[in-house]
Amino acid sequence: MMYFMFVMMIGLILGLMGVASNPSPYYAALGLVTAAGVGCGLLVGHGGSFMSLILFLIYLGGMLVVFAYTAALAAEPYPESWGDWSVLLYVGLYLVGLFVSGKYFMVKGWGLHWTGVEELSNLDMVRGDFLGVALLYSDGGWMLVLGGWVLLLTLFVVLELTRGLSWGTLRVV
Amino acid sequence: TILISSLGLGTTLTFIGSHWLLVWMGLEINTLAIIPLMIRQHHPRAVEATTKYFITQATASTLLLFASVTNAWTSGEWSLIEMLNPTSATLTTVALALKIGLAPLHFWLPEVLQGLDLTTGLILSTWQKLAPFAILLQLYPLLNPNLLLTLGILSTIIGGWGGLNQTQLRKILAYSSIANLGWMITILHYAPNLTLLNLILYIIMTLTTFLLFKIFNSTKINSIASSSTKSPLLSIIALLTLLSLGGLPPLSGFMPKWLILQELTKQSLFIPATIMALMTLLSLFFYLRLCYATTLTMNPNPTNMLSSWRTKPYHFTLILLTSATLSILL
Repeated sequence: MMYFMFVMMIGLILGLMGVASNPSPYYAALGLVTAAGVGCGLLVGHGGSFMSLILFLIYLGGMLVVFAYTAALAAEPYPESWGDWSVLLYVGLYLVGLFVSGKYFMVKGWGLHWTGVEELSNLDMVRGDFLGVALLYSDGGWMLVLGGWVLLLTLFVVLELTRGLSWGTLRVV
Repeated sequence: TILISSLGLGTTLTFIGSHWLLVWMGLEINTLAIIPLMIRQHHPRAVEATTKYFITQATASTLLLFASVTNAWTSGEWSLIEMLNPTSATLTTVALALKIGLAPLHFWLPEVLQGLDLTTGLILSTWQKLAPFAILLQLYPLLNPNLLLTLGILSTIIGGWGGLNQTQLRKILAYSSIANLGWMITILHYAPNLTLLNLILYIIMTLTTFLLFKIFNSTKINSIASSSTKSPLLSIIALLTLLSLGGLPPLSGFMPKWLILQELTKQSLFIPATIMALMTLLSLFFYLRLCYATTLTMNPNPTNMLSSWRTKPYHFTLILLTSATLSILL
């Protein structure tokens, strides 16, 4: 189990490095998918199963899909992937930084040094992760209203920013 | 209308919040609500200014969220005033400095302010500063005094020096904002009520200045030079307001500066006090240059006397002007 978590943590760092090394958006979205996927696995390992399901559904299934469609609208003929030199430079820099910080923080002697992370919840009737959501609908009712108001505000902001099909500010190319 | 009310909502949430998430939400609502106001004019400079503003404010909000979550992780405390992790406190200071535009995190402020029209620039310089200062004023004993002093002194230096070569009025006001915020942040650790006093007076004076520039409909020194023919009374008021921003006695802009210097010397911080006083001279120079251009010299080819008067809606600035200039020192 510990080995499984270890592999997932490596996957997380590699996926995030793949995003941050500035490739073309399709490859960055692939990096995000792998990072979010193994991140969900890590969450499940710590006991937050509901949180990880929500992350998969909303983040990957909602937002990333919309992003992939919009990136497909702005397609370029020669996208930069991780094999191109400009991207590989970033990847190399991040790998160097990773090894330096890993040597400083994590490797003591010959083995790896684990830091303790607390478990999110125990096996109660109401576990920590979805108890929060239940509270949002019951005692935290005003927070729900606030959340709804902010979502409505964001809708109007985005509609205002993209108003006007081809003479607006953020145009459909 | 939903945007203006959301601006009010955001600042109110930050004021009343005692949980870090609520405070963060208020700041995010403010950022989100002002974005369409900034982009109302649709020309590329406004779009670029809006993009820069959004990116910097989003970075600052993320840093703030990271600091509060780290604090909650290590100490279990989500309350605003109990910040037990010193790394989180320092990170919060840096995040809020980026939010309000203190040096060395000020680089976005002149370009963003230049891309906006005067009314939106007014909202950005005055209202958007209230919410981060609410957080700073509640956190003041926990923040690192050396960091605050460094931010403050650097801000007065850069605010004074950077404004010297500007001819665009909005960039001048941006650098004046940086310098004034530097004064405010310096005294935060020792006497936070002086920070509040400086903030209130700065808001009044900047409100006055922006409204004056709006009435004259001018955004450059060239166009404000002919303002004495449009309305001589208002150009005299502009003179007094600009000198008040520069901090000359007996105008009310001198009061916070004097009290701050007094408090700094009481804490035996003589060198920072001297540096700040000297660097404010630089900003006084460009205020004086503005006064020269508007009131103290006649523009070549003056139009024959007064043209048509402005309509009523702008006259409420007069109340603020009286408080800006003629309030006596206590």
